[in-house]
Amino acid sequence: MNLILVTFIILLAFTSYYFGRKKALVIQSSQRLTALPKFYGYYLAAWCAAPALIIFVLWSVFEPSIVKTFILQDYTDQNLTKNELQLIYTKVKALAAGTYTGNITNFLDESANKYIQLKGIANSAKVAIILAILIFSLSFAYRSVQKNDRMREPVEIFLKWVLFAASLGAVLVTIGIIFSLLFEAIRFFQAVKIFDFIFGTHWYPAKTFVRDGQPDPELMKDAFGAVPLFAGTFFIAFIAMCVAIPIGLLSGIYLSEYAGRGVRKYAKPIIEILAGIPTVVYGFFAALTVGPFVKEIGNAMGLEVSSESALAAGAVMGVMIIPFISSLSDDVITAVPQNLRDGSYAMGATKSETVKKVIFPAALPGIVGSILLAVSRAVGETMIVVMASGLAANLTMNPLESTSTITAQIVVILIGDQQFGDPKTQSAFALGISLFIVTLFLNVIALSVVKKYREKYE
Amino acid sequence: MSKIKAENVNVYYGSKQALFDVSIDIAEKEVTALIGPSGCGKSTFLRCLNRMNDVIDICRVEGSIKMDNLELNSRKLDVVRLRENVGMVFQKPNPFPKTIYENVAYGPTIHGIAQSKEEMDQIVETSLKKAALWNEVKDRLDEIGTGLSGGQQQRLCIARAISVSPEVILMDEPCSALDPIATAQIEELIDDLKKEVTIVIVTHSMSQAARVSQKTGFFHLGKLIEFGSTDKIFKNPDKQQTQDYITGRFG
Repeated sequence: MNLILVTFIILLAFTSYYFGRKKALVIQSSQRLTALPKFYGYYLAAWCAAPALIIFVLWSVFEPSIVKTFILQDYTDQNLTKNELQLIYTKVKALAAGTYTGNITNFLDESANKYIQLKGIANSAKVAIILAILIFSLSFAYRSVQKNDRMREPVEIFLKWVLFAASLGAVLVTIGIIFSLLFEAIRFFQAVKIFDFIFGTHWYPAKTFVRDGQPDPELMKDAFGAVPLFAGTFFIAFIAMCVAIPIGLLSGIYLSEYAGRGVRKYAKPIIEILAGIPTVVYGFFAALTVGPFVKEIGNAMGLEVSSESALAAGAVMGVMIIPFISSLSDDVITAVPQNLRDGSYAMGATKSETVKKVIFPAALPGIVGSILLAVSRAVGETMIVVMASGLAANLTMNPLESTSTITAQIVVILIGDQQFGDPKTQSAFALGISLFIVTLFLNVIALSVVKKYREKYE
Repeated sequence: MSKIKAENVNVYYGSKQALFDVSIDIAEKEVTALIGPSGCGKSTFLRCLNRMNDVIDICRVEGSIKMDNLELNSRKLDVVRLRENVGMVFQKPNPFPKTIYENVAYGPTIHGIAQSKEEMDQIVETSLKKAALWNEVKDRLDEIGTGLSGGQQQRLCIARAISVSPEVILMDEPCSALDPIATAQIEELIDDLKKEVTIVIVTHSMSQAARVSQKTGFFHLGKLIEFGSTDKIFKNPDKQQTQDYITGRFG
């Protein structure tokens, strides 16, 4: 029903576009047009589609809750809680759809009939209202077209609002996500002191689990110390950077300054293939190939290595980030103006001197920016660490031991059964928002550095 | 006395020939101007003199260019040494994004000319003085060179070029991005510099060529049409084409 309605509106909009354009050509024969004929088409199409679609969306959003209020009106005298009312409403809906399998009381049956009836009325009303709006707005628009009103401005204004709505949507979604993170995190911090979270050195949320009732506040105190997670996150990111920065940067310099056109043509796409490998593939590569390999080598040297080590996870993450750094630094180095290279060569500098003393310093801000972006990726990376670095939150600086990260712990907390309102579940939101703040901070710095770099050469 | 002697120089970009049998004698401690319409090959020729065409992959140079009997167009030539002796100033000022001091010290550093910090300070000061920039920047040598005005930047580039005491300086339209006042300063500077170095300048400005040079070469479509003393070229050229270009009837 809804699909037919929307298709109808859209088809009508297309038709009115062609109709409007044709009308404009007719007008053209007697008087001067105020805009190109297609603007007449756009004008009619916009007036046709926009009001109807807006009403359609609003109706679809509000209809269910209005119907619900009507149904539940009959139950107000029973003194039911919010949850119980919700349950009844679910039952009524199921009964109306014919999927209810429990006991059917008369009262419930009555409600279900009422529900079906209300839905029917609502649907007919929706179609009627939308048809009325279509007729009204189209006739209004058509009159303007007939009068040969100015067409260009309304179309431009309409487009501006469409674009505005799109960006508003994006911004609102972002804000919504941040607030939901924030609210859950605040609820978590009502149960656990923020001080214990930020400075606690012991992360073991499973021990707060109790079958009934509230967990012991004493237990809460040292179960949610995030220090080991932050340490693990940055430690693994650090190992990843130790792999990615040298290789990525040097290959970026090679590609942009040394490689001939032939080499560049093949080498660059091959490096970029690395960026196209799904992280989950890197994850099992780290867990099943690199991890055991590191363990074997370590054991051969007489070291104790756990099979899930920070080293394995960090090294593979580094490989994942190489194309990121190499391709970004290739871009910023290529963007260094040719006349600086000429200036240096003309002074008798060799290629390596030119790279080291002129090109690299000139590109440095851009390179730093790309490294910071890479760090924020490493910090937010999940699959590799879940699979390869272990899940026990050890506070350790030994790359051969297993350690855990913020992202991995969020996964651990939220897979399987979980209870809302439980501090353990809410701790995921607290971790999430701390991670968000860290990466936001890194991105802001990176972007401002890159911006400064751009200003320098424009 | 002849400093650079080019004989039958042909330059190709890929399959396209850019210079045809150019032969020219550039005299020592004089200013030689190369004029001609855009795309006539004068910059290409200039870049042969310090092998800057090496930077362009598809560029091929044939013929003989001798500087003090040293063959420049030879595979065996030490390009680094050549460029120490033949400095270059470009059309658009291109100071490095480093401090003013570092910009001037760049050449002496890579060629290992200064033995001590004092010596380097001395070189920087002398070069900036010769480039008529010292008084304007002596109190802010540690500021970034790209922060100077266009004319100052170009003089900084000249200071950078003369810091390694080259015997020849090549200038590729050094004033085309500058205003008339900065241009006048640079021209004055060229006049001073020619006491010590040989200068080859490519310019689009006929009046500039007439003002600063002793010899002028007129290029057209990759050929050297006429070469002689500036006086003669501007007052009484042998070729009709030269006459037409100088009087503005074509080009």
